[in-house]
Amino acid sequence: MRVVEEPLAGGVICVEVEGRLDAATVPVLEKALQHLLADAQYHLIVDMNAVSYVSSSGLRALLAARRQARSWGGDVYLCQLSARVREILEMVGFLSVFGVYATREEARGAFPQSASIV
Amino acid sequence: MQAAGWDEDETFCVQMAVDEACSNVIEHAYGADAQGEIQVSCCIRDQGDLVVSVRDTGRPFDPTAVPEPPIGADLENLSEGGLGLYFMRKLMDEVTFHFDEREGNMLTMVKRRPK
Repeated sequence: MRVVEEPLAGGVICVEVEGRLDAATVPVLEKALQHLLADAQYHLIVDMNAVSYVSSSGLRALLAARRQARSWGGDVYLCQLSARVREILEMVGFLSVFGVYATREEARGAFPQSASIV
Repeated sequence: MQAAGWDEDETFCVQMAVDEACSNVIEHAYGADAQGEIQVSCCIRDQGDLVVSVRDTGRPFDPTAVPEPPIGADLENLSEGGLGLYFMRKLMDEVTFHFDEREGNMLTMVKRRPK
């Protein structure tokens, strides 16, 4: 699995994930998200276009990061869900829990304007 | 499974449930650093239901000790514990655990025959 961080306009960071997000690979994403949160980056977008699978471990990492970001007034949004990932989140009832957007730009625009002042 | 009448989505649900079950064994029954054996077997019962069994000889697993996230309610505020079990229950039609001193943990998951 590969994780690439990309700063977007307005102090929002996009984390692009590629590959399977399961118990074996999730530490890579966890580390990236925890590093960003420790660096006071609370407005995060996880781009899941290239994610082929997400297990409960992957979901747990996303939920934990989201909870922490929200406690600091931020959030973790998801964008560009692959068909498989959308299906999994829908099956287990978590699609409506996250802010889910079609594109990075749409997700970035969903953060309040005040969020972009860093 | 597909040859026996299950579609691709149902087959995927079973694969995912087995992944969750084995991950749980590795993480909780044996502990991430320990070594142990996981036996996975499956069969189709007379009624056509698929039965998957996952056996390990790690620490006894008590499903009642795992807080179960409420299905369809307040997922927003759930604790992250018990998600693997929650996934298994959402993906399969029956999920039961049995512990035996000699045999260890036995997880049985059933996917009913497609209508």
